[in-house]
Amino acid sequence: MCPLFSGSWGTRFYSGSATLPKVEGTNITGIEEVVIPRKKTWDKVAVLQALASTVSRDPTAAPYAFQDDPYLIPASSMESRLFLLAKKSGENAAKFIINLHPKYFQKDIAEPHIPCLMPEYFEPQIEDISEAALKERIKLKKVKASVDMFDQLLQAGTTVSLETSNSLLDLLCYYGDREPSTDNHFQQSEKSEELEEDTGENDKKSKADDQFGVTWRAKNNAERIFALIPEKNSYSYCTMIRGMVKHRALVQALNLYAELLNNRLQADVYTFNALIEATALNMNEKSEDKWNNILELLKQMAAQKVKPNLQTFNNILKCLRRFHAFGRLPGLQTFREMKAIGIEPSLATYHHVIQLFYHHENPSKGSSRIIYDIMNEITGQKFTPKDPDDDMFFQSAMRVCSFLRDLELAYQVHGLLNTGDNWKFIGPDHRRNFYYSKFFSLLCLMEQIDVTLKWYKDLVPSVFFPRSQTLIDLLQALDVANRLEVIPQIWKDSKEYGHTFRSDLKEEILMLMARDQHPPELQVAFADCAADIKSTYESQDARKTAPDWPANSLNCIAVLFLRAGRTQEAWKMLGLFRKHNKIPGNKLLNEFMDSAKASNSPAQAIEVVKLAGAFSLPICEALTQRVMADFAISQEQKEALGNLTSPTSDSDSDSDSDISEGI
Amino acid sequence: MHEISKETESQESVKENTKKDLLDIIKGMKIELSTVNVQTTKPSSTRQLKSVEATINRLQKAPGDAPKKRTKSLSPELVAAASAIADFLPFDKQTTKSELLRQLQQHEEVSKAQKNGGRAKISVSNIISDMKVAKSATIRASTRPVHQIQFDEGSDDYMSQKTSDVKKSLRKNMLKGKRLNIFDLKAVTEETSETETTPSLWDIEFAKQLAAVNEQPLQNGFAEMIQWTKDGKLWEFPINNEAGFDDEGSEFHEHIFLDIHLKDFPKQGPIRHFMELVTCGLSKNPYLSVKQKIEHIEWFRNYFNEKQDILKENGIEFN
Repeated sequence: MCPLFSGSWGTRFYSGSATLPKVEGTNITGIEEVVIPRKKTWDKVAVLQALASTVSRDPTAAPYAFQDDPYLIPASSMESRLFLLAKKSGENAAKFIINLHPKYFQKDIAEPHIPCLMPEYFEPQIEDISEAALKERIKLKKVKASVDMFDQLLQAGTTVSLETSNSLLDLLCYYGDREPSTDNHFQQSEKSEELEEDTGENDKKSKADDQFGVTWRAKNNAERIFALIPEKNSYSYCTMIRGMVKHRALVQALNLYAELLNNRLQADVYTFNALIEATALNMNEKSEDKWNNILELLKQMAAQKVKPNLQTFNNILKCLRRFHAFGRLPGLQTFREMKAIGIEPSLATYHHVIQLFYHHENPSKGSSRIIYDIMNEITGQKFTPKDPDDDMFFQSAMRVCSFLRDLELAYQVHGLLNTGDNWKFIGPDHRRNFYYSKFFSLLCLMEQIDVTLKWYKDLVPSVFFPRSQTLIDLLQALDVANRLEVIPQIWKDSKEYGHTFRSDLKEEILMLMARDQHPPELQVAFADCAADIKSTYESQDARKTAPDWPANSLNCIAVLFLRAGRTQEAWKMLGLFRKHNKIPGNKLLNEFMDSAKASNSPAQAIEVVKLAGAFSLPICEALTQRVMADFAISQEQKEALGNLTSPTSDSDSDSDSDISEGI
Repeated sequence: MHEISKETESQESVKENTKKDLLDIIKGMKIELSTVNVQTTKPSSTRQLKSVEATINRLQKAPGDAPKKRTKSLSPELVAAASAIADFLPFDKQTTKSELLRQLQQHEEVSKAQKNGGRAKISVSNIISDMKVAKSATIRASTRPVHQIQFDEGSDDYMSQKTSDVKKSLRKNMLKGKRLNIFDLKAVTEETSETETTPSLWDIEFAKQLAAVNEQPLQNGFAEMIQWTKDGKLWEFPINNEAGFDDEGSEFHEHIFLDIHLKDFPKQGPIRHFMELVTCGLSKNPYLSVKQKIEHIEWFRNYFNEKQDILKENGIEFN
């Protein structure tokens, strides 16, 4: 039997047959040392990972998660959120049915066995009153059942081991004496971290949390059971303190810590982290006092030889944010302490530092340069998740880049995002959208238009769906760079991304197209675009009872029709002015007059003057003069015109009656 | 002549590009304003403020400088060329010469300013310098709390250095400086005996939160297959026929060479013959485990032991 083939069947290895002598017995002194190479073991997903590394993102396709029925491919961020929620809720519904009727799903034909597809059992199986039953209920996270079982055990006189009591305390403290919520998937993404986004609301919301967020009921089961345990060890105290801080019973936590010290017990690092949070959240003290208290806690930690961890320092930095400007110097000192004792900062650390220095965006004061420090420090580094706040870094970094209007820095941040696996730290949907919206707006503002358009093709829509403000920024960039011919394409894209009925976007597009004269082909393209926008307004009208066409849009559409030679439609637009009671601009009326002259039609010219008169526009007189001068009109028409524009009181009442006719 | 027309052309092109210039200036304005304001927060350090004011004065005075000062910064060849042209042209020599020199001086200063990282063109920088001076006058009046100066100390250092060195010095500033000095590196890194404890509920939930940080929708089909493999729903690649099947650690020879278990049976005779057929069949059976095969043989042994009397009747030996 060849020794190379021993070993378990699950691993593959490479045999170095080249090192074995080929012919035996020839030159014994010449036989080389047989070096059996070390067995190479591959991870179970190694082959798939190698294959996955060959695939890169396709900017022209929908993201992979949305590739199902082509009809369902989402076209806006709302739709994509709905899509993912629907997919996940389908899975959850299936799991729910399987767990509800486990007896119908017992057939197991998979070889080897797949445990995750079998029904799960959530009900406790052990029915008698014993410690094993208590442990089972704790494991199944049944809060009320565990408490009942514990009480029954105590009544029966059996002692519960300290370990089990501690794990019961864990359960109670973590969930605050409530049952754990069952549908975590949807709620967690919408919960507390929303606070981080809107800087203005940050303080108010977090303050509200403290006042109304005290979820630790007084004299609840945790405290009662804590009192019942005969010999508490430090772990019991620690878990109680952590639970109290989690549910915002801060004063009680600090008191319990004093009790712990009195009993000469030692807290662990997690408890100290919780106490730091408790000290900072305490509402009644000034920032300096709170900081001194935190320093006091840290000194006690060092004295008791408790090693701080990454969470310790991240918690300190997070709490320093509440002290605003005062917290900056302590923040830097904390960061240097962290580096000095060899704890590697995570992305959350840098996020807290950024929030500390750039929270109040006040352009008149000097902006700190610390973001450049940070980026120099971490460029090229690959991160792994070490703190739950790690996915907030890129959003705040890009916000700062946008605020400082520094494109180079933004490229640096984006480069960091694309290093290694860092792209996973972009966070959930809304954070990714925020990051890319800010990035793209900065590009529109600062970058050359060709590069911006390349980024546009690359990012939209495969990475994010642009908001209407982002598209307006892009339009303004096109305007600055004099590339207005791209506008019809942008309008088509806007319709695809769900902005068909955004009036600010449509007004911007129309205004840019109508502002200047352009070569004829471009004018035709613009007129087509304007006709399309007009049809969207009309379909909006059909749905609403009170139609609402902005005056600007009417002006621009009419001008564009005129310039492209679509005179019939342009004249129809005039009727729309009266219908929606919007005032036509002077420039527009002049252009209509020009067009009437070009087609040599006095009737049209008189139409224009009548319209001007109906709205009592000051330009009416000038137009009348023009008609009289340029056109050949009959005497009655002259009189009618005269009536419209004579400045006597009679004509005022006439023009009033005209207005009442027109409305 | 040629040069004058060039200059007028360049002036026209300057006008054409005013829009672009304005934008550049607006981009530059924000940073310039902020630089001045950071300096003025510490009234005691007027050194930097004076240098800023000196540059402002220099820029403002540039068009109105006496010819002597201007020609100093220009190279003598340029001056000689300018005077040669002035001689050549039919216009007033002195004025043409001064105009040419002024234009050259402006170009010189513009290129100098841009080399040093400044962003404004001379013609528009006057507007900005006006704005700078006004801002500094208002800010100087404001007072700041005492602790704010500590922070501004750090930022003042930034502004006193040139932009090329700024980034290097910034790196030092964030990492160098006072720390809390509460924890000791040695005390923190020494290995304490940590008892093995099972992870508590807090640890498990924290680990779940950490895993959720990196969650992103799957990017391609391979990522989906990786996820399924981790869930246990998909075969592991490269495919191993015997994945999940251990056979209780027995080897193939234990299945095939079952003669060893026949040592309690007689060496000859019909029983032996029969048992050899049994072992032959068992060795070809892929469905039984080794234990089951041995049990099978055991059963036969017990059976024959029980039926000893029948065997004796027929003269067959079995012991």
